[in-house]
Amino acid sequence: MTPAAGRNRTNSNGSEDRDAIMTYSRRSFLHALTAGMGGAAVPASTLLALEGALTRAAAQQAAPNGPVPPITFFAPNWPDYIEISRLIANTWSQLGVEVDLKQGTAQTLMAEVIGEHNTPHAVGVSWGGAPDRIDPDYFLTEFFNSRRKIKGGLNYGNYDNADYDAVNDAQRAEMDPETRRELVWKCQEMLAADNPILVLTFRNATQPYNKARWEGVVPTLASGVGMSYIPWTYYKMKPLTSRKVARTANFTEIVTLNPFATPEIFNATLLRWIYPTFVTRGPNGDVEPWAAESWSVVDPTTVDVKLRPGMVFDDGAPVTVEDVKFTFDFIMEWKFPAFARVPEVVESLEIVDPATVRFKLKQPSASFVPNVLGFCFVAPRHVWQALPEGLASPADWPNEAPVGYGGFKFIEWRKGEYLQLETNKHFFLPPAVDGVIWLFVPNIENQLAMMESGALDMLGWNIDGEQAKRMAEHPDLEVVSVPSHGMHEIRLNMDMAPISDPAFRMALQHATDRKELVEVVFSGLGAVPATNTVITGANEFWSNPNLPMPDFSIEKARQALADAGYTWDAEGRLHYPAG
Amino acid sequence: MTTKARGRALISRAIQSGLTLWVLATIIWLMFRLLPGDPTTALLGTGQLPPDAVARLRAEWRLDDPMGAQYLRYLGNLLTGEFGLSFTFRQPATEVLAPALVNTLILMAPATAISVVGGVLLGAWLGWRRGGAAEFGGALLVLVLRSLPAFWIGIVLLMAFSYSLGWFPIGGIRTPAFFPETWWEELPGFDFLRHLVLPVTAAVLYFLADPLMIMRTSMLEARTEDYISYAEARGLPDRRVRRIARRNAMLPVVTYVGIMVSFAFGGQILIEMVFSWPGMGRLMVESVTQRDYPVAQAAFLLMAAIVVVVNFLVDLLYALLDPRIRDA
Repeated sequence: MTPAAGRNRTNSNGSEDRDAIMTYSRRSFLHALTAGMGGAAVPASTLLALEGALTRAAAQQAAPNGPVPPITFFAPNWPDYIEISRLIANTWSQLGVEVDLKQGTAQTLMAEVIGEHNTPHAVGVSWGGAPDRIDPDYFLTEFFNSRRKIKGGLNYGNYDNADYDAVNDAQRAEMDPETRRELVWKCQEMLAADNPILVLTFRNATQPYNKARWEGVVPTLASGVGMSYIPWTYYKMKPLTSRKVARTANFTEIVTLNPFATPEIFNATLLRWIYPTFVTRGPNGDVEPWAAESWSVVDPTTVDVKLRPGMVFDDGAPVTVEDVKFTFDFIMEWKFPAFARVPEVVESLEIVDPATVRFKLKQPSASFVPNVLGFCFVAPRHVWQALPEGLASPADWPNEAPVGYGGFKFIEWRKGEYLQLETNKHFFLPPAVDGVIWLFVPNIENQLAMMESGALDMLGWNIDGEQAKRMAEHPDLEVVSVPSHGMHEIRLNMDMAPISDPAFRMALQHATDRKELVEVVFSGLGAVPATNTVITGANEFWSNPNLPMPDFSIEKARQALADAGYTWDAEGRLHYPAG
Repeated sequence: MTTKARGRALISRAIQSGLTLWVLATIIWLMFRLLPGDPTTALLGTGQLPPDAVARLRAEWRLDDPMGAQYLRYLGNLLTGEFGLSFTFRQPATEVLAPALVNTLILMAPATAISVVGGVLLGAWLGWRRGGAAEFGGALLVLVLRSLPAFWIGIVLLMAFSYSLGWFPIGGIRTPAFFPETWWEELPGFDFLRHLVLPVTAAVLYFLADPLMIMRTSMLEARTEDYISYAEARGLPDRRVRRIARRNAMLPVVTYVGIMVSFAFGGQILIEMVFSWPGMGRLMVESVTQRDYPVAQAAFLLMAAIVVVVNFLVDLLYALLDPRIRDA
C-alpha cells in the first residue's frame, strides 16, 4: 500500500472528495521523513502538509479584472455537513464563482486546520454546547483574538484586528457584569461589521424520554433533558413506576474515573456528578451556586468563596476548606493540562475561615467564576495525598473507586459497557431517582430501539429530525427540543483572496440561505439566527440584539459585489474589480 | 528427517518469525505516524484545551522527540514486553486491551468453534452428496449467507428477534443491575447467554461458509482419489470410506482455521458495533480515531503475532495429520 492510496481511502466519502484536501506529495513525505530520522523534530502532521491548490491560492493576490478563482470550502464528512456543503455550494455558485467542496474526517480537519492552520477559503465546523461556551469570552476570544492566531488556536480564519483585541481584552478583565456587557456587545458589533464568520444555526438539543415512566424533566440550555453537561433532569426527575433507577445512553464511553485526567467534555461533566463544581449553570444558563453556597468579588483580583455547609465525602469525612486548598495547590503543582485555565488565572488561594477560601487572581478575569469555579471541584485530601509511589503524574492514577460528595455516588464502571451511579441522599439537593446507569451504546439504531423497547429511559446525546419523528410516534415517548449556544458556522480565511475583501464576505452572508438549511438539514430543530453574532439570542444577557443578520438574497449579494466593482463576463463568471 | 535437522529447521523458522514480527512492528509504527494528527489532535478539536496546554501534553507524551528516537524507544519497549501508557485511558495499553480481548474471545471462540465443526461436518456431507438437490440447496444457502455482510445479518437478527419479538436484548454483553423476574431468569448465566445468542449466530452464519465450501471441494477431490476407490473396492461400509476421505480432505480446512483464529482475536468490528459488544474491534476503531498509538499498536501487533504463531502451529499440526509432510 502506498501512503497516498491510504490517504485517499481514509478521506473518500462522496464524489467531492476525488482530490481530497490532502494532496499528497511523495517528495515532501520523503523530505520530512529523512529530516525526522536525522534528528529534527517533525510533528507527524507536517508529513501531510497541504499543498497545491491551497498554497497557490494563498499566495495569489487578486489580479485586477482577472476571474475570481474557485472558492475552496472544507467541511468534515459528517452527515449534516455533507448536506450543508451542497446547499452552500448551490447558493454561492449563483454569484458566478465556482465552489470547490472538500471533505475529510474530523481528524483531518483538526490536524490540518486547527493544528497547522492550513486553512482554505472557508471551513465549516460545528461546536457543541459545552457549559464553558455559555460565557461570551469563549467564542469571542478563542475564535477572533489575534493571540489565538497561532497553530493549535481556534482563530484559524486569521482574524486580526487590533481594535477588536483591545475591546476583547477589556471585556475579559471586566468584573462588573453590566459594564462587561457593553464591551461584549461592542465586540459583537465589530465582528458584524467585518464578517469573519458565517453563523449558520444554533442547533437545538433534542432528546426523547419515557414519559410513561418519568415526570419532571427539566429542559436545560444546550443540555436538553438528557445530556450530562448540566444535568438538572437527572436531579429533578421523578419515577412514575417501580423502576427508580434511570437508564440513559451515549455513543462515546468514559475513559477514566480520575477527574484530574480528562478535558473531554462528556467524561469530565459526568465525573462532576460525583465531584460537583463550586458553581453550576441553571436551566436557562445563569450561573448558580452549587458546592459553593455563595461567592463574592471583593476586588477585581480577589474572590471569596463560601463552601456549602454539611457536605460529606462518600467515605464519611466532611468536605473542608483544607480540601479545597489542597485541590487547587495540587492543580497548580502538577499543572494538569485539563486544568490549564487555573494557573493562567489563579495566583494563590488562602483559607479565610472554616467555611471560606479566598482566591487571589493574577489579573481580573470575568470568566473565573463560570469557567474556573464552574469546572473545578474538591478532591478529598486524605485520598489524594496517599497515592502510591511511582506515578509520573497523579493524572495517571486510575482512581478506581472515586470518593466524591455529589448527588451521585460511584457504584461500578465496566469499560465499554456502562457506568452505574447511585443517589447520594446526603447531598443538599438529593436526586429523586435511586440512581442512574449510563450505557455506552455505539450505534444510534440500537439506542432508538432500546428507547422503544423500554430498555432505555432517555438519551444522553442529540437525535436528528427524522429520529425525533420516529421517537415521537411511540406512545410512551416524548421528544424535547431546547435551544443551545452550540453553533454550526463557516469560518472565512481573512488572508486569502477574494475572501480578504469585505465586500466579498458581505456577499457570502447574503448568499447563505440559513432558513432553508435549518429546515432541510435539521428539520427545523435549530434556530435561524436573526442577528449576526456568535452569541445566540437564547443567551439573552450577552447577545447583542441590534445586529440584524443580512437577509438571504442573491440579488443583494450580487449588488454588493457590483458596488465594489466586480464584473461578470459573458459566461456569467465573476471577475475582480479593475485596478 | 533426523532430529538434529528438524531442530535446525525449527530454529530457522523461529528466526524467520522473529524477523517477520520486527518488520510488522515497524510497518505498524510507521502506519500510525503517517495518519494526520497525533494523540493531542482530538483534544485541540474539542476546544477545551488552550494551545500551550496541548504543547505541554505533547512534551509530556514525548511526541516532540525526533522520529528516530521515538522509533528506537518503541522497539526497545517491545523487547521488554512494554507497549506504553494509553494516552486516552492513561493506563498500560495491555491493561486496556486485556478485558476487550476477553470479551472478543467470549464471542468469537464459540462462533469459530461452531463454524469450523459445523462447516467440516456439513461440507463433508454435501461433498459426498455431489449432484443431489440437498447439495445444490445447501451450497446455495451458505453462499448467499457468505455474500451478505456480517453486520447486515446482525441487523436482520436484531430486527426480528429483539426489536419485534423481544426475545433477546438489543446488544451489550450483560444487563447492568439485572434483576431476575422469573425463575428461569434466575438461572446462573441466563442474562449473559441471552446476550450471547444473537451475535454468535450472526458470526456463525457468516463464518460457516468458508470452512464448509473448502471442505466440500476438498471432499470432492478426495472422492476421485485411488485410495477411496480402493477402500470402496474392499467393500468397506460407506461410513468408513467417508471417514477416510474426510480425514484427508481436512488438510486445507486446517490451514484456513489458522487464518480464522487470528481473525477471531481481532474481533469482528462490524458485528461488535451492531451488537454494542465491548470487544477488540471496537477498541481498535476507537484507538485509531483517537490516535491512541500505544493501544492501537499493541492491538495490531497482537493480531500480527497471533497470525505468525498460529501459522507456525498449523505447520506443526499438518505434520501430525499428514505423515507425508512429517517424513518429507
